[in-house]
Amino acid sequence: MIVDTVKLGGLTVAATALVGYPVALVYLGAGPRWQRVILFVVILPLLTSVVVRTFAWIVILGREGVINQALLWLGLAPAPLRLLQTEHGLVMALTQIEMPLLLLPLLSVMSRMDPSLRDASAALGASKWRTLVRVTLPLSLPGLVAGCMLVFASSTTAFISQFVIGGNRLVYLPLLIWQQSLVVYNWPLASVAALTLLVSVGLGVTAIAAVGRRSRAYAV
Amino acid sequence: MTHTRFTRRQFFAAAAATAGALAIGRPARAKGSVTAAMYPGTWEEAFRAHVVPALKSAHDVDLEMTPLFAVDQIAKAQAARGAPPFDAFVLDPGPRVTGIDRGLFEKFEARRLKNVGRLPAGMVDDWGVTVAAQVVGIGYNPKKLPRPKSWTDLLKDPWVSRLGMTGFQTTYGTVSIIEIAKQFGGSETNVEPFFVEIKKVLSKVAAIGAPASMPALFQQGQCDITYTNTQTVATLRGRDVDIEFVKPESGAVAFFTTMHVAKGSREGENAYKYFDTVISAPVQSALMQPPNNFIPVNRDVKLAAALPMASLDEMAKFVRHDWSKINPLRAAWIERFNKEVAK
Repeated sequence: MIVDTVKLGGLTVAATALVGYPVALVYLGAGPRWQRVILFVVILPLLTSVVVRTFAWIVILGREGVINQALLWLGLAPAPLRLLQTEHGLVMALTQIEMPLLLLPLLSVMSRMDPSLRDASAALGASKWRTLVRVTLPLSLPGLVAGCMLVFASSTTAFISQFVIGGNRLVYLPLLIWQQSLVVYNWPLASVAALTLLVSVGLGVTAIAAVGRRSRAYAV
Repeated sequence: MTHTRFTRRQFFAAAAATAGALAIGRPARAKGSVTAAMYPGTWEEAFRAHVVPALKSAHDVDLEMTPLFAVDQIAKAQAARGAPPFDAFVLDPGPRVTGIDRGLFEKFEARRLKNVGRLPAGMVDDWGVTVAAQVVGIGYNPKKLPRPKSWTDLLKDPWVSRLGMTGFQTTYGTVSIIEIAKQFGGSETNVEPFFVEIKKVLSKVAAIGAPASMPALFQQGQCDITYTNTQTVATLRGRDVDIEFVKPESGAVAFFTTMHVAKGSREGENAYKYFDTVISAPVQSALMQPPNNFIPVNRDVKLAAALPMASLDEMAKFVRHDWSKINPLRAAWIERFNKEVAK
């Protein structure tokens, strides 16, 4: 269960970073007006309760939900796929739910980057890809690492999303803590599970920070 | 900048004047209030609409509600150690037994309720009073599935591939699983046959969901058959969902929701007035109407046609369970469910 919980955090971090970073790059390249629009769209999910967002994902991932209907209509699947109560369905939902936590620190760091550095890189003959890898990515790394840490801590402990979308098929540490403390009143086991969660989230966050430090040293 | 200095006498005079002004300006207050723990959702809305005004007009008592599920109430009361955060509990049978075992209730004095004579036998005991009944059976979508007959049908085709399940966290989930186990030779204290049978069909089961999300899963077509109570079925039908309630051949399960005075409560008197209002015929009748769909416990209430029985006494024939036997086993069942069914 500890492994599953940490794995869920890891997968969510990977998915949010993969989807979020290109969004941040679009933000970087956009004019001030579009930047405001992107920022508004990023913050928008935070204006709704996480419970509402999670229940909305039931509608999206369900057997008769938007994704399955689209797949059936396009002929990509012969029968509705099972997305609810699966790890990949949960990761999809968490990616959207946790996205603002990744993007806000990332955009904040990116907007403070000196644009002339990228221009200089281009002027010195670097391709766009090389500029991205050698200039933009290292400079934005502190924001990316901070965002990843937030997403990891938040997704491993996201009790509502894990329980509502994962159901009883997927059991993670927060659900175990709830069951043991509130359903069967086994407070000692609940305490152990809570401490385990705290330590594993702490270790995960430390690991992400360490990876961030190492790769920054490498990039420089 | 100079500071104005007050003498102690001036300070007390000002304080007394302020207090006096507040006392005079205070509007007429109710005779008192009572803080009751209340299930969130349907219960809270129904009580706000019907019990709050009835209690105010009958006894001039204000009802404050703290939305908490049964298990949360027990956990909070226990954590508060003698200083209960509310005066009255509302509980299902499992948490009720836990509450009695842990000494969280005051002894109950039935004679303080005027309406107690209108309840069927056995609805009041030394610890509390029954305020509503729940009947558990099978809910299914008649447009998508043939009508199931028994609990065992849930684990057979074509039903099993559209089955939505929950675990042992809720009362209705626990009693339903016990009933399934019984059909395969198990008992109230032996759910082993359920685990054996469910393993055979586990890959086919459509959804194993969180209890709170079951109505949404049914509404979204994620599952088309599930074990549930009449109240959920009536509520979903009210939202135009295709769902019908079936009493299994071996009998539907009934359990009661009870109210209790919290140990150490200072509003005991008002708590009894609150209970008496809840079990009074007009309030019980109002709670039975859609969209509340409660099953009443007052004999003076004429039962709605949609309910699975013609009179309250018929409920004596429904299947009942002894939660003092179930509670000690539940932790192990939950653990087993997590290990064998969840994964």
